[in-house]
Amino acid sequence: MEFNIYGYKCKKCGQVHYPFRTTCKKCGHFIFEDKAEKYELVPLSKKGKLLTWTRLRSLPGDFEVPELLFGIVQLDDGNRLTGQLDIAAPKTGMKVAGVVRVVRREGYNEHKGIVFESA
Amino acid sequence: MREVFCVGIGITSFTRLEYPLAEIAAYPGMMALKDSGLSKVDQLYVANMGAGRTNHQTGLASAVLDQLSLAPAWAETIENGPASGASAIKTGFMAIASGMCDTVMVIGAERMREVNDLEATECVATLTHPQAEWIYGITLPSMAGMFARMYMDKYGVTPRHLGMVAVKNHDNAMDNFYAHLHERITLEGIIDSPEAATNNPIVADPLRFYDCCPVSDGAACVILASGDAAKKTGKPRIRLAGVGQATDTLAVHDRKDPTDLLSTRGAAAQAFKMAGLKPSQIDVAELHDAFTILEIANSEEAGFFKKGEGHIALEKGETRIGGSLPINPSGGLKAKGHPVGATGVGQAHEIVLQLRGEAEKRQVKGAKRGFTCNFGGFGNNVVCLAFTKEK
Amino acid sequence: MPVDVEKALRPVDNPMPPFPPKYVTLASGQHMVIRQIDRSDVPEILPHIHRLMAVERDYYDVVAARAMGELMAYYYHRVQDEYVLVAQIDGELAAVVNGRLLSPEIGMSYHTISLRRGMRVGAHAFAAKMEYHIDIMKQKEVLIVAESPIGFRRWMIEYKLEKRFHIPHELGGPPSWSLTKEIFDRARGSLVVGRRPVPEKLLAQAKKGILPPSDPPKPPVDLLAATRAKYDSTGTALMGQRWNLDRRNK
Repeated sequence: MEFNIYGYKCKKCGQVHYPFRTTCKKCGHFIFEDKAEKYELVPLSKKGKLLTWTRLRSLPGDFEVPELLFGIVQLDDGNRLTGQLDIAAPKTGMKVAGVVRVVRREGYNEHKGIVFESA
Repeated sequence: MREVFCVGIGITSFTRLEYPLAEIAAYPGMMALKDSGLSKVDQLYVANMGAGRTNHQTGLASAVLDQLSLAPAWAETIENGPASGASAIKTGFMAIASGMCDTVMVIGAERMREVNDLEATECVATLTHPQAEWIYGITLPSMAGMFARMYMDKYGVTPRHLGMVAVKNHDNAMDNFYAHLHERITLEGIIDSPEAATNNPIVADPLRFYDCCPVSDGAACVILASGDAAKKTGKPRIRLAGVGQATDTLAVHDRKDPTDLLSTRGAAAQAFKMAGLKPSQIDVAELHDAFTILEIANSEEAGFFKKGEGHIALEKGETRIGGSLPINPSGGLKAKGHPVGATGVGQAHEIVLQLRGEAEKRQVKGAKRGFTCNFGGFGNNVVCLAFTKEK
Repeated sequence: MPVDVEKALRPVDNPMPPFPPKYVTLASGQHMVIRQIDRSDVPEILPHIHRLMAVERDYYDVVAARAMGELMAYYYHRVQDEYVLVAQIDGELAAVVNGRLLSPEIGMSYHTISLRRGMRVGAHAFAAKMEYHIDIMKQKEVLIVAESPIGFRRWMIEYKLEKRFHIPHELGGPPSWSLTKEIFDRARGSLVVGRRPVPEKLLAQAKKGILPPSDPPKPPVDLLAATRAKYDSTGTALMGQRWNLDRRNK
């Protein structure tokens, strides 16, 4: 099964938010005013351009890997995402494509997130 | 609005302190009471970020108030991430300016070394967006790393410039008894020599070990008073002339241009406006250099240098003690230490010391106007303060 | 015939190639020389280690006490195949590391004591010790344990050591960790650095004499701080006094 990261589209002005927010940052529309459906979910694109990245060597205690790479990606649909990178030698501006999978385990909870690979 | 003055200051060493948090917090309070000659205050604000998590203590203000036997004064704990300290001072300012209180004690305190550094970093990492950032394992150093890379790509800042910030702040801290790191470093040792990559390993590429602040325990205190109350103490008249605060999106990627720190820009502009000052009139500044890149970025956003030229001023030595605008004469967060909740109050402590002319070896000559920038989250909540010396 | 008891007590050391001295540039820009010392040099460093037995933090006390024993055993020939390396900054003693050979193929790492905190002084000295075992004595692996969290972070985590939990370590018998040649090769250039030969002047300065460390780890201001913290929360005045005292003495 393929997973997606969903953006939240304002029903009034069409602005897509990621992460979710309860009040539209563009037009100030309150999501609870939409009676039937609170917001429209739009799957975000998984392809884009790497804006910046970092290689973290001192990790939070619950990760059992020596290092993690993170990046901010400018998606083709104009949105931006922060995610992990699965790229040995990332370069700013390179094309990347993402996969949504488990990125962190917290006790019995699993958190899914996006991991970008070079495209 | 009434005028607000700083009448008493106190600080502990920023280092590892093996004492209960409330005791650590009370110590500078005691020093500040002695300094000001006061024995009671109307209100106590305690700035702290992680006591509930790292020290198993909440409601810290009540514990500190009791340590200092200040009952029945009012007391609250203020939490605003790493900007808790300046936020508490801002709240104290409002209490006095509004006429509700005449004297307010503001204490910032943190004891992070009770847990190991991984846990401390993880505790600070809870500042990031829980769904869009935290789940990936992102910590504040990685935020700063990504920010630094964009900044370097855009403005031509090099790892050498970052190293220069670290060297300068370590040098300044040598003269600060209360600083965490009394360790002189050189560019040769951390950048040029063949062993530099080992001495100064990557933490969050391009940021290295010496680009990041230490994890410290510590506390600092500033007592604020109204004009009349301040006159009675007979202390030098250091006025908290301007206060500013601005916020930005929680997730860094959500910002229009992630290299712009709009929150610092807004907060600084407000503080300058309220104080009736221009950035060029400031004699000494304490900026939030939790990561070396932030000293450069904040110095630009606060208006001291043009955007993209902070590192050039640094290169020319303008930010050293003796330069046109000494930044972080105390050693900054980089070398003085970063006990999260105490940092903002510690910055104010340094500026008051500088304006009083009591900073000994690291004194900025003739300093009359000071400025602090306390950075919360990763640039999502910034508080700036402007201080002036009155006759 | 008289029996030479001393002869019976003394183990016979196996031949060991000497450790060629090397030097490392520290973050401060200073050069740190790491070299091997001889039995006869041990009394020079003993007093500095002895003082650390009073440093009740980061397990300096237990490490110093154990290292005292090892150094004295080395001096009086009561341990087999031990060696001691020292690190010096401007002639001052900065770190002491020691170990021994368990067998020609396996090394037993003893202690790493840093007399100058920060700047990876201890980490560099530890790396030199591993270099001695793996590169110079051509051993297959070195058995290691850590007594302090700092040590655990530096060795087990940074080097990513392998577990050899079925072998009890000589330092109290806890399960051992192992640094193999493969792990060492991986760390080469990143964790293991340094240059040879040491410039003559630098080496001469180091050999001239081991100077006392100028800023050794000190006991915490109040030795009972940790205890008081647990049982008594009213020691603030005492703390203030001590800090003022410290400040005056500085």
